[in-house]
Amino acid sequence: MSMNRRQWLKVTAGMGAGLALADLGVNVQQVHAATRGMKLNGTAEFTSACNFCSCGCGMICHVKDGKLINLEGDPDHIINQGSLCSKGAAMSAVPNSPQRIKKPMYRAPGSAEWKEISWDEAYDRIAHKMKDTREKTWKATEMDGDKQLVVNRTDAIAFLGAAQNTNEECYLITKASRLLGTVNVEHQARL
Amino acid sequence: MTNHWLDLQHSKVFLIEGSNAAENHVMSMKWIRKAQEKGAIIIHVDPRYNRTSSIADIYACIRPGADIAFLGAMINYILENKLYDDAYVKLHTNALMLANQDFGFDDGVFSGYDEATRHYEMASWSYQTAGPDKKPKKAKSLDDPHCVFAQLKKHYSRYTMEMGSQISGIPVETIKKIADIMATTKPGTIMYALGMTQHTVGVQNIRCYGVLQLLLGNIGKPGGGVNALRGEPNVQGSSDMAVLSGYMPGYLTYPAHNEPTLKDWTKNNGTFRAKFLVNNLKAWFGDQATAENDFGYGWLPKRSLKANHTVYGFFESAAKGDVKMMYVIGQNPMVSNANLSMTFDGLAKLEMLVVHELWETETAAFWKRPGTDPKSIPTEVLLLPACYFMEKEGTLTNSGRMVQWRYKAIDGPGESKSDLEIVDAVFRKVRDLYKDSVDPKDQILMAAVWNYPKDGMSEAVLKEINGFDLKTGLPVNGIADLQPDGSTSSGCWIYAGCYKGGKNLSKRRDNKTDPSGLGIYPGFAWCWPGNMHVLYNRASCDEKGQPFDPARKIVWWDAEQKKWAGFDTPDVPVPTDGPDTPNGQRAFRMNGEGVGRLLAASYKDFDPKATDKELPRDASYTPKDGPFPEFYEPVESPTENALHPEMKNNPVLKYPRVKGKHPIGKVADFPYVLMTSSMAEHWLSGSITRNIPWLIELCPEPLIEIPLSLAAKLKLKTGDMAKVSSARGDVTVKVEVTRRMQTLQINGKEVTVVWMPYNWGFQGLSTGPSTNYITIDAVDPVAGTQEAKACLVNVVAAGSAEGGNRA
Repeated sequence: MSMNRRQWLKVTAGMGAGLALADLGVNVQQVHAATRGMKLNGTAEFTSACNFCSCGCGMICHVKDGKLINLEGDPDHIINQGSLCSKGAAMSAVPNSPQRIKKPMYRAPGSAEWKEISWDEAYDRIAHKMKDTREKTWKATEMDGDKQLVVNRTDAIAFLGAAQNTNEECYLITKASRLLGTVNVEHQARL
Repeated sequence: MTNHWLDLQHSKVFLIEGSNAAENHVMSMKWIRKAQEKGAIIIHVDPRYNRTSSIADIYACIRPGADIAFLGAMINYILENKLYDDAYVKLHTNALMLANQDFGFDDGVFSGYDEATRHYEMASWSYQTAGPDKKPKKAKSLDDPHCVFAQLKKHYSRYTMEMGSQISGIPVETIKKIADIMATTKPGTIMYALGMTQHTVGVQNIRCYGVLQLLLGNIGKPGGGVNALRGEPNVQGSSDMAVLSGYMPGYLTYPAHNEPTLKDWTKNNGTFRAKFLVNNLKAWFGDQATAENDFGYGWLPKRSLKANHTVYGFFESAAKGDVKMMYVIGQNPMVSNANLSMTFDGLAKLEMLVVHELWETETAAFWKRPGTDPKSIPTEVLLLPACYFMEKEGTLTNSGRMVQWRYKAIDGPGESKSDLEIVDAVFRKVRDLYKDSVDPKDQILMAAVWNYPKDGMSEAVLKEINGFDLKTGLPVNGIADLQPDGSTSSGCWIYAGCYKGGKNLSKRRDNKTDPSGLGIYPGFAWCWPGNMHVLYNRASCDEKGQPFDPARKIVWWDAEQKKWAGFDTPDVPVPTDGPDTPNGQRAFRMNGEGVGRLLAASYKDFDPKATDKELPRDASYTPKDGPFPEFYEPVESPTENALHPEMKNNPVLKYPRVKGKHPIGKVADFPYVLMTSSMAEHWLSGSITRNIPWLIELCPEPLIEIPLSLAAKLKLKTGDMAKVSSARGDVTVKVEVTRRMQTLQINGKEVTVVWMPYNWGFQGLSTGPSTNYITIDAVDPVAGTQEAKACLVNVVAAGSAEGGNRA
């Protein structure tokens, strides 16, 4: 054990984390428990479930000052009983990743770059394009042999994706897309 | 999954075929290992020896795409040697029902085939029926030459051990050993994933599992079942919610162009399901949905049966310029679609692409693809910052159909928003633009109920999904509460009951109460339907409703209480209809026949008491490529079809779909078989895992695994670069020479199989060539899933790390 680590343990004891370190015989389990306690002191706990495969393993998010500071398998969860796999255990990297997109971005036709835009501008562009497309491509009816049948559809709008989403999001995607008049609604399950 | 993750601990034998569970569904191993400690046998069938194989008791190396030959040989062996569960087969399957006398199979096709249209007329795939309600006639014994069981025997008699072996590459002794173990070790479970579905015979691959498990009496029992290990965190829920062109929520068939009225739809789908569609329409249109206006059915857009509305279909439409606007939410087709050149062509022709994402993915940035001049791409692209799962609240549904609530822990970074909030805002904006419209086509937007609160939006949507008693305004307590007359609503009928008693049951956390010791935990979260954990559990009981195996009982008929009882929710039509009633014998109540279907017959079940004689109570589902699974070679195959050389591929398959874009490689030019998959460190399109530094450290780049014999022939060693090419494109990756891959003897000739992960692209922290430039986008004619597990490639030494035509 290095000096630094020993000093650090003394500090831990001094902070009243419950370790008696009068002697130098350190109980590793106690140290683990104590350091974990220190790390999670003052954190709020939220239960969640993993977002990689479909096992649905329980997770606990520890949050301090609005930041995720720890993510671990939920020991009270019936499926994983505290365990996580290599991918699940790595998810804590995502909320704090510098690679995350933080603002709506727009790429104009033919442009070689993104431009940051406001949400209002993004919504406006999308809504007007959707209306415009719907207007120009609407099929009120379709012929089947000599029968003219009402189909109320546009084939020019397509929705893709949802297996990463919550059930509530999926339901609204389904509802919105059909109300807008498209049946081109698909996601990862097809693959 | 018919069963669930914890249930795996009760299996005595596992057939894992088409899944590398140890790497891709890691936590399943917690429960499989428990079973193994108690002596369970693990069988792993896979072209590649992987981490699942390494813990298996038996490993069988199979040629990609040859599963039906192997499973067909097992089915034949079980039938010939009378190894099936006689009582179960007679009681709980359609074995005794008499098949239509015109049904048959010759020269590689079933009766009713029209070569010109590559289409089957299904009329002969039916039963001999009798009586005013046209019920199937039943034989007295399984020896009756006209019964379904006899047809099954006849069909699989061609699948001898030798035939199964020469097509699949698995030695005869191994197939026999696996069949003997499966037949004598009960209960047994089957686990599969994309290894079975990504084929042009994907649906029939899974049908083989159904037939096999019905013959062995393994469905509906703890430790049994057919268990799909689904590949995305909420792909179960997203399928349940019908983010698929062919469905309304809860797997109700989506209305087609030739079904302009609710009655037309009901003729094809039955009154049993029409009730749930009405509840769905009430959830969407509220007071505007009335019996007089067909509950708003007429407003719905109708899919065209002549068009292809699936993902491959609409990318092809986009490439033609017909799809103008694509709206992508958390999916990355520019890595994960097969035949990526086609995907790129589609994106590059769009007028607008909208992407909700955490990252700047290959899809969002397709116009930046190396070698592409952005000036040549006219597509407007909007990339909207989305929240990760811990940055928002809501439910997801795991493979075992367990619906769990996730709490919001933190805010998303910057200006990111949840997809729920974005979709809600976009819909409202579009509706606002139409607010003064009197055009009939826009009436649907005004009629729809859409006013979710900003706070607690997920709860509000979940309540709508659950449904309401519209007289009292209270949430319904279950499927049994739903009415056909418009007095109740439910956005997704199979979720009715998730808000039972007005409480969000997905939040429940009782991990202590498990009265049966079976791992059911009825107070932990909530399973659809009706908190049922093992589907078809009525089939665990005999004719009198008593468990076949009292030591493993899960549900039973309680004669004293006069109702079905058990540790799980009994899977019966009406809990008080006992074994002496027809309902008490419908263990497979979602089929019109009420029993498990060895023959997936074309059948409509009529209710003699129905007021409208035109409308069936239920209609059974029949895959359009056959009522029994039959082996067909992959589109790109290294060999002939040994069973029927004149009908090599699936007769219903249509490929190429687009002239000049769908080349089919020949074995002379592309002599090796490629299979692809994910791995423990990288997942699907890699948009998340290739942005996590320590996963990249574990596995930094794509590769090709080749067997020793091929390495010797091509003078390649581990670490060398190789160019892998197919008829569609080529990529250059590092070589790994390994014993995991083997050379097989197929129809008397040597066949070499190679493997590549498909998780890379040109964006993210770890970039590398996308394997899907070389995979084939021929799809299963029923499911529309691409044949990513089997195509033909050539491999040559590439010398240096440079090369390959795309980043």
